[in-house]
Amino acid sequence: MSGIGSALLNSLDIGLLLFIIAVGLNIVFGVLNIINFAHGALYMLGAYLTYTFVNLAGLPFWAALLLAPLAVAALAVIMDRAMLRFIYQRDVADSLLLTFALLLIINESVRLVWGSGIHVVRPPEPLAGSVDLLGSPLPTYSLFVIAVGLLLLAGLWYLFNRTRVGRIMRAAALDRDMAEAVGINTRLVVTGVFAFGAWLAAVGGAVAAPMRALDPGMGDKIIIESFIVVVIGGLGSFPGALLGALILGLIHSFGGRYVPEVNMLLPFLGMALVLLFKPHGLMGKGASA
Amino acid sequence: MKSRVLLIIMALVLAGLIAVPWLASYFYIFIFTEILILGLFAASFNLVFGYTGMLSFGHAAFFGVGAYATALVLIHLQWPFLACLLVSTAAGAVLAVGIGFLSVRLNEVYFAMLTLAFGMMVFAIAYQWRSVTHGSDGLAGFTLGDFGLGLKLTLGNPSVYYHVVLAIVAVAAMVLYLICRSSFGLILKAIRQNPERVSFAGLNVRSYRLAAFVIGGAFAGLAGGLMAPFLRVASPELVHWSMSAEPVLMSILGGTGYFLGPFAGAAVFVLLETAITSVTESWMLVLGIILALMVIFFRKGLLGTVLDWWQERNQ
Amino acid sequence: MNRSLIKHLLVGMTAAATLGTASLSHAADPIKIGAINIRSGSAATYGEFAQKGFDLAVKEVNASGGILGRQVEMMYEDSQAKAATAIQAARKLVYSDGADAIVGLDSSGVAQGMVPTMTELQKPLIITHAATPDVTGKLCNAFTYRVSVNVSQNMKAAAMVASKSDAKNWTTIGPDYAFGHQSWEYFGNYLKAMKPDVNLMSETNFPRFGAEDFTPFIDRVMNSDADGVLISVWGGDLVNFVRQANDRGFFDKGLDLMFTVGAATEVLSALGEEMPEGVHLSTRYWFDAYDNDVNKHFVKAYVDAYGNAPSYNAEGAYAAIYAYKKAVETAGTTDGPAVAKALSGMSFDAPNGKVTFRAGDHQALVSPNWGVSGPMDAKLGIRTLTNLQVFDGEAVTPSVEETGCQL
Repeated sequence: MSGIGSALLNSLDIGLLLFIIAVGLNIVFGVLNIINFAHGALYMLGAYLTYTFVNLAGLPFWAALLLAPLAVAALAVIMDRAMLRFIYQRDVADSLLLTFALLLIINESVRLVWGSGIHVVRPPEPLAGSVDLLGSPLPTYSLFVIAVGLLLLAGLWYLFNRTRVGRIMRAAALDRDMAEAVGINTRLVVTGVFAFGAWLAAVGGAVAAPMRALDPGMGDKIIIESFIVVVIGGLGSFPGALLGALILGLIHSFGGRYVPEVNMLLPFLGMALVLLFKPHGLMGKGASA
Repeated sequence: MKSRVLLIIMALVLAGLIAVPWLASYFYIFIFTEILILGLFAASFNLVFGYTGMLSFGHAAFFGVGAYATALVLIHLQWPFLACLLVSTAAGAVLAVGIGFLSVRLNEVYFAMLTLAFGMMVFAIAYQWRSVTHGSDGLAGFTLGDFGLGLKLTLGNPSVYYHVVLAIVAVAAMVLYLICRSSFGLILKAIRQNPERVSFAGLNVRSYRLAAFVIGGAFAGLAGGLMAPFLRVASPELVHWSMSAEPVLMSILGGTGYFLGPFAGAAVFVLLETAITSVTESWMLVLGIILALMVIFFRKGLLGTVLDWWQERNQ
Repeated sequence: MNRSLIKHLLVGMTAAATLGTASLSHAADPIKIGAINIRSGSAATYGEFAQKGFDLAVKEVNASGGILGRQVEMMYEDSQAKAATAIQAARKLVYSDGADAIVGLDSSGVAQGMVPTMTELQKPLIITHAATPDVTGKLCNAFTYRVSVNVSQNMKAAAMVASKSDAKNWTTIGPDYAFGHQSWEYFGNYLKAMKPDVNLMSETNFPRFGAEDFTPFIDRVMNSDADGVLISVWGGDLVNFVRQANDRGFFDKGLDLMFTVGAATEVLSALGEEMPEGVHLSTRYWFDAYDNDVNKHFVKAYVDAYGNAPSYNAEGAYAAIYAYKKAVETAGTTDGPAVAKALSGMSFDAPNGKVTFRAGDHQALVSPNWGVSGPMDAKLGIRTLTNLQVFDGEAVTPSVEETGCQL
């Protein structure tokens, strides 16, 4: 039965990585009602910056893990101030379109700056190699990913439920006018949440970099995956993002092993089924729109 | 007075389009064929988006299915072109009934996500069902035979094909226009603005949305059927979400609030792409910037901005 | 008011019309070659390599006087790996930009769509990368040529290597699209013919193209009876595959592994030491496999100009330019049909030796290079290839009848 065992472990591995990458998309939608199509591009930027810091600047991986997301968050603040602030009050379609435009811009910019080649980031020494789990070797780095994912989940829960910042974000999400009325600077909240979402995307990129070859198409590959995760789990629910990510991990892992002839179809079928029967996702509360 | 000017302009545009093979260089025949087909595709999308207010992100499913339908009919049955187009239109409509029935009950972003999911499911089928669709390589090597109706047309001649496309797109556009101007179209617009009120008036909103979706799907299928012989290949990219994004972009560029907006948008998009790819390989970057500017500042699109400016001038 | 509007419209339309008028050609005008490659997205590196090869060849050709006394100018278009985009790009290159020939094409799907279009365009096409056998098989036409190795040549050579191995149970891990499936199909047929007692396993593995995770397939193979595996995963996918395989101990199982496009320079550079030693790697052109003057010159010029060893894509591009040059000189004109005719049966000197375009199907009679991965080359940062094998082009190419080409 080691087939099922390793398939399950594999799902956990893929799932947690997807969670880290996709949760930012979820939060941005939940609080701002914006679907950030450029989320995948920000993830890619996080990965490429990690490559630059580690391979080109010779910094340790931990430093890159810290700096790359901050750099991307800073860029997100600029994007917000320069462009997104014009369309926040408009409907969701406009946010889809504008963030799609940003995706095109970031994608091509990455290719212009870093070139078209394939790049590889090596995991840091303590995380390289593998451990034996349930009879099959599991890369140590996968354990790191799982740990980061769970840490993130705990951190986000704490942030939203136990801190003032989290309460403010939730208030702004529920009723922006009311939040303004009680003195919350919603402009700042909006910029902050968007930057936070970008930061999370870039953390996903930095964490993914040692696991995946970098190429200029990696942003596009991940954005649809992220949409699926977020839809299945529930737009606006970050525990839902974890559930969605794990389910997608299971689909990829088992689908690839047992029903390869339809494995491309399955994730989208899953997405469609959830939307048909539970449009707010498996764990979503009612949407604000 | 105003409608007379409009009619004169339309007549001039039509005359100009007919005369393209004689007015412009050979290459522009292909450009304008592409513009007409994509314009129809975008217009079919705009019926669903601009008029009825539903952002469908899987509209390429119908376009692609139409392309595959024509390709398959030409490969296996060698029917005349007109018959192929009817099959493509029907294929688009049938698929739209299936997808639409399941999707129109959802709102806004959920509708967009579900149509995206269905669109990508069709893509997955086109990609993996190799025995029928030839997978990622697509269907190629089909040739056009007769046009049908006893008309002797050498469809292999790009100029002739262009005029056939022009005729069909013009008729289709006319039909679409009549639909948009009818009471049916008015109800769609009302649904976009305030679905609750329409529902209170006793109308079944869902049925109207479905009808709009199916009509949109049918015309997209027709556009796909016109596209396949033009490209000489029907491949899965025609169904991918990136293809679904094109009518969205074109409608925004031209103006979603105007019937001819998508056509204008298609023209601008194709001409811009042709011009810019000659100068730089960063066409996507330029497109992104233009799209961003359009969404932020010129949300009404090219036609909207031009018409607003024209109205101001008149005052 | 309305009259001026109409006047404006007429002026505008006339202006638009004059935009498109083609310029008259002139004897001193440059010869224009249009290259269509993947220049964006995940596989953009192939377009980049091809451009390097094209640019190098054109620079050399121009420095030595051009073709028929005319300078050569390259024009680059992005296929975006989509047939529709490529076909419109080809039309633009020929009708609007005055291209005399089209070269390139990375993706087989794109090639399948493009090839029928060449009869409309009436210009020669020299494919430098796309490997589907169909373009010089059932889709062949008077204008289409291929200078690079195709799937059947690659797989016949692979079968020849595999037939010498002890492995009995063969399976495959390949991308789930035509290339992966065709590679396995051709390999299986050839191997079975050479060594009837091999077992081609029914359990095969086709991860979706662009899949980031190969572990399910790696595990499946490791847990099966397979002792020989044909791996046709390529590019970034192959980089991910090898790294994941390393993690799972795939390379310690004593399996006979054959990577059909494993010796691609972009893969080897990315992997460095992570590419294991002792596995069979193949590429359509290995810079170190040919000991002739053309190759020595090409490799040196390429390394001098770009800093790393030329990939097969760059070599194919470089060779195509020289093939075109010879064809034009033979025909004495750049007229499309004449040059296309001149290419038929033509031989020329390429880095991988004397290359001939077979008259029956326009496929170059070339062979891939197979080798076994060896120690690291410190200077280039990639694994070296030992036990290099270059096959006779005629021996690995199926007969014209077998290809289904009817010219």
